[in-house]
Amino acid sequence: MRPSRWLGLLAVVLALAPFALPPFFLQLLTEIAIVGLFATAFNLLMGFGGMVSFGHAAYFALGAYAPALLVKRAGLPMLLALPAAPLVAAAGALFFGFFIVRLSHTYFAMLSLAFAQIVFTVIFKWKALTGGDDGLLDVWPPALLKSPAAYYYFTLAIVALSLAALHAIVASPFGYALRSVRENPRRARFIGINVRRHQLVAFVISGAFSGVAGGLFAFYNGSVFPDFAYFTKSFEPLVVALLGGVQSFFGPLTGAFGFKILEWLVSRQWPVYWPLFLGIIVVLVIVVLPQGFVGLAGGRRLWSRLTSKA
Amino acid sequence: MSGLSVGMFLFLVSVGMSLIFGVTRIVNLAHGSLYMVGAYLMVTLVEVLPDRSWSFWLALLLAPLGVAALGGLIEMGLLRRIYGRDPLMQLILTFGLILVIGTLVLLAWGPDNKSVSRPEALAGSVQVFGQPFPSYYLLVLGLAPAVAVGLWLIFYRTRWGMLIRAATVDREMLGTLGVNVAALYTQVFVFGSWLAGLGGALAAPTVAVALGMDGDVLTTAFVVVVIGGLGSFAGSFISALLVGLLQSFGILIFPAVSIVLLFAIMAIVLIVRPWGLLGRPEE
Repeated sequence: MRPSRWLGLLAVVLALAPFALPPFFLQLLTEIAIVGLFATAFNLLMGFGGMVSFGHAAYFALGAYAPALLVKRAGLPMLLALPAAPLVAAAGALFFGFFIVRLSHTYFAMLSLAFAQIVFTVIFKWKALTGGDDGLLDVWPPALLKSPAAYYYFTLAIVALSLAALHAIVASPFGYALRSVRENPRRARFIGINVRRHQLVAFVISGAFSGVAGGLFAFYNGSVFPDFAYFTKSFEPLVVALLGGVQSFFGPLTGAFGFKILEWLVSRQWPVYWPLFLGIIVVLVIVVLPQGFVGLAGGRRLWSRLTSKA
Repeated sequence: MSGLSVGMFLFLVSVGMSLIFGVTRIVNLAHGSLYMVGAYLMVTLVEVLPDRSWSFWLALLLAPLGVAALGGLIEMGLLRRIYGRDPLMQLILTFGLILVIGTLVLLAWGPDNKSVSRPEALAGSVQVFGQPFPSYYLLVLGLAPAVAVGLWLIFYRTRWGMLIRAATVDREMLGTLGVNVAALYTQVFVFGSWLAGLGGALAAPTVAVALGMDGDVLTTAFVVVVIGGLGSFAGSFISALLVGLLQSFGILIFPAVSIVLLFAIMAIVLIVRPWGLLGRPEE
């Protein structure tokens, strides 16, 4: 089947899901959609730009806190507050990214992690505004969107729009210029591509859509906490993208599906052990698979053939 | 004065991180976790050992050794298999170790904050420039420079130190000359872990020993190492002092933004001299 048919089939299945599944599974699917968007936004950097951020939780958290604060402190309704999520996250990504894209590889990863820790610390310490450790509670969507099915549809619509936008960006001339920057920054510069500017733009776009994911999650969760910016959260899109495959656009989405199902299965039984489990999976995959993730390339190639047009 | 002592803890942790990076080219993100394990081991050892005047000192000796052993296990069991791979894979691996160690510490010691009481001899305070100053910090102020001098002697006066310095410059050449580089990596990682454990064990009586301390220390040590220059030993010392003083005074002057100030300085250093104050530029 052609990719567009797969997508059509998927859309029909997802649209009909609320009629077949109990609310719990709708919530799980909502979470999968949010994490999928987060990981896809992250993968714009890692898969297409060759930049690995260890601090994407910062933009997720900015996107979660911005609308939550507007609702709690300024009394705005959710639908007016939500657009603040990508805007504030993009502003944060622009500010931090300006410094981060000046570095490469290890330094890039480390500086992004350090900036995320600043965001975490500021949220944690600024009790008057953010509630500090207690977070902000009662951040619910309006009555119309409050049921699991309604919020599921809402999330699905926003995530689908965001993914379409991201896919258009990846398929655009900008997307191809970004790939060339990933493959060989020096040659990219020779043919007149402003490497840093492309990296920064990609960083800001990635941050903005991570913010959308954060905003959606805030109202899904009904509360926001400093943990959203903690470095373990930054690990999530990384693992999801690696599990699903970084070469294809839809890899992180499939990764999100597997990741959340696994998380649900493990933490239903032993909630405390989930980070341990996750850490061990990561360590084992890196150490035991002789060629690292290249060893998974067969499966990944299969997926990219199935799902990607690019 | 307390700024100086904070700087000393930071020095112990960050010099280990810097050393490991200098030789193995691995940014050990689990370094903060090793520090945390050092502090928790201190908690347990002080509880378990008989209540004598020497038991604190014995614990202070044993806890870092325990962390060094853990570091050895990590290096030989895991890291050794992935040298020469994409540096990002190494980063992700040590990131995974943060999760594993963090959860294991939670399971072993529980979620509640712990504390270690200072040894009796150093429980009081002394007058320094007319200000009361906890005498335990004097120990830190004395011990860390002693470690610094010791490190300097090791690096510049022993054969092992010469090999380490050679490894930071050109590892392949060192291997070609017949030096067992793999063994050197292990020794350096164990030594760096010991330093992290020593920092954690020394810090245990001055802070609440809690689960979040790995991330806090990792971030601050990272700032120190970046400002000083990854792989530079003197750079770590100077920038640890700088950051320690800055943190203490920053908290007095603008409590809310002191950490932001810290990162602002790091950002400036990264823009002007990405390789740090005393580091070497990347080729």
